[in-house]
Amino acid sequence: MRKIAIIGGSAAGMMAAIAAAKENPDVDVTVITMDRLPYRRPAIPALIAGAINKPEDAKVFSAEALAGYNIKIVCLSEATDIETANNVISYISDGGKQKVSYDSAIIATGSSPLIPKITGSDKKGVCTFTTFESAAEIVEVAKDTNCAVIVGASFIALEIAEALMHKGLDVYFNVRSRILRKLIEPDLSEFLIDRFEKQGLKMLTGQAISQIGGEQSVEYVVHKNKKTATNLVVMGTGVKPNVALAEKCGIELAQSGAIKVDNRMRTSVSNIYAVGDCAESPDLGTGMFVYSPVGSIGAMAGKIAGRNAAGADVKTRGFLRAQADQILGLQIYSIGHSTTTAKEVGLEAKVHDLDVGQLGRFEYKQKPFEKAKLLTDGKDKIVGAQLVAEKYGSQFAWQLYQAVLNGEDRKAFLENFISPRAKMAETLMNICEPNVVVKGIGKDKSLVLKNTKSP
Amino acid sequence: MDNKNKTIVVNIKKCLACKSCEIACAMVHSKSGVLEEAVAESPRPQRMVTVEAAGEFGVPIQCRHCEDAPCITVCPTGAIQRFDEQAPVVVDADLCIGCKLCMLICPFGILQIDKKGRAIIKCDMCMERIEKDLDPACVEACPTKALSFVLLDQSEKAKNSNASSQVKSEKKKSKDKE
Repeated sequence: MRKIAIIGGSAAGMMAAIAAAKENPDVDVTVITMDRLPYRRPAIPALIAGAINKPEDAKVFSAEALAGYNIKIVCLSEATDIETANNVISYISDGGKQKVSYDSAIIATGSSPLIPKITGSDKKGVCTFTTFESAAEIVEVAKDTNCAVIVGASFIALEIAEALMHKGLDVYFNVRSRILRKLIEPDLSEFLIDRFEKQGLKMLTGQAISQIGGEQSVEYVVHKNKKTATNLVVMGTGVKPNVALAEKCGIELAQSGAIKVDNRMRTSVSNIYAVGDCAESPDLGTGMFVYSPVGSIGAMAGKIAGRNAAGADVKTRGFLRAQADQILGLQIYSIGHSTTTAKEVGLEAKVHDLDVGQLGRFEYKQKPFEKAKLLTDGKDKIVGAQLVAEKYGSQFAWQLYQAVLNGEDRKAFLENFISPRAKMAETLMNICEPNVVVKGIGKDKSLVLKNTKSP
Repeated sequence: MDNKNKTIVVNIKKCLACKSCEIACAMVHSKSGVLEEAVAESPRPQRMVTVEAAGEFGVPIQCRHCEDAPCITVCPTGAIQRFDEQAPVVVDADLCIGCKLCMLICPFGILQIDKKGRAIIKCDMCMERIEKDLDPACVEACPTKALSFVLLDQSEKAKNSNASSQVKSEKKKSKDKE
């Protein structure tokens, strides 16, 4: 029986385990994880907001989901070494040293928070949020304070700001350059800052906080020489890949600091794969390898690595980064490249405003708004799209996703771009016979209408 | 058994926008399943149907259980699935990692984040009720029968194309107006 050992039990590692077990039922999969149980990382803001209070409430890949697969999960265990010559992984479990041999191994060790060098960042009350334990600390500190400072610019940092605002705290959001810098264009960032400020989020922009003051625990932060009193500072300043284990056993790292892989998600050691936040992944449009620590890409990469580890030979052309979130009542979508990420892969991206307002729309009483952008390369091929909307944004976003995924020509796309909202309104308003039903979207991406049997 | 080939149909001419469907949906999907207790639950039970004002009409918007559902295609973990071609599209929260790709791809914009665990929640066409031969909660709650749960006609293709050509002609009309 082929043996597969996976280090790390989050989205990428668990998807690799499931994919391997599905590919070949005759494999023996062991997952070594430091966590007590696999849980959903996006649930952390829910924990802070008080909607849930223990990791069990956000568990994912539970025993029921894995029933029927030959997957063994070793929890609360830390892998300490990979002997690549003998194909053996050593790990510490229950205080004792254990060993597991493998035919293929998958490294999915994830990432750790990247804390910037700020005076006083080691004080009590400076928190991160990549684990439930660290998030629980935020909840604890938030109980005795009425003000919090969030440092960061990402979706999850904004979600945590929103969660703390719901708890009734005064929330200051510190961002060095602009919010969601890697995901959206500068004018959309400004627009969002303006909207969020109106909702009560206090922005500290222009530069990072220069000092975190207090005796043992946080009492204030200094931003542009101005003191703001607070007992809680949350660091959401990005992540760094956990590569110590890979480095120790001689696996090659890429320039970004993450593990270097090929299109099969294989590392420099032929029977070891790496996926998720610890490794690079190929970008769909350019085929270049980039560090993109996003859950969906981790899961997709995990599937490829899992199948290959189980004996298949699958290659990926690349993964399309697409992220969506809903923050303080606004839906934000970012698909493919922004000008920031395009520059990183050497693409000269051109930004076009997409006026979705001119296209027909569903007649809501309160008209929602949308702001959209299209990014194209030198040949006018769509490489990225962004959208900020109040309501039902995905009615537009799904078309933008298809356009980026297929690298459509911008002019051709605009000619065929019919607001689905208008389409839906037409369908509902004009042919609302009781015996016709909209059965969603069909293979040709158009609305499917079906008759119903008369009673 | 016939219930599995049925779908929810909206006749917006009958919709009062009373939102009874919204309340029934949230109640059925609450922890207790009882209205009196559901209102006190924290976080508040979420509804998976939303009544929107569209011109002079009210339109209940909910999952259309697409024939070729983009959310199933895009889900990286296989958490969104259907058990057979006719079955409703459902989410297995046990496999959902909360990446929100489906939220981005839904042509109807109906997918939401679960307040509790940040997984995805959507209309499951009241699977448990259907199995017991009951109508979905929203259909049962609708006072004017604007929502109905009916069998799909697989044979009458002529009418079908008739309906699509009507959409096309309306589209042309609106283009001509511009």
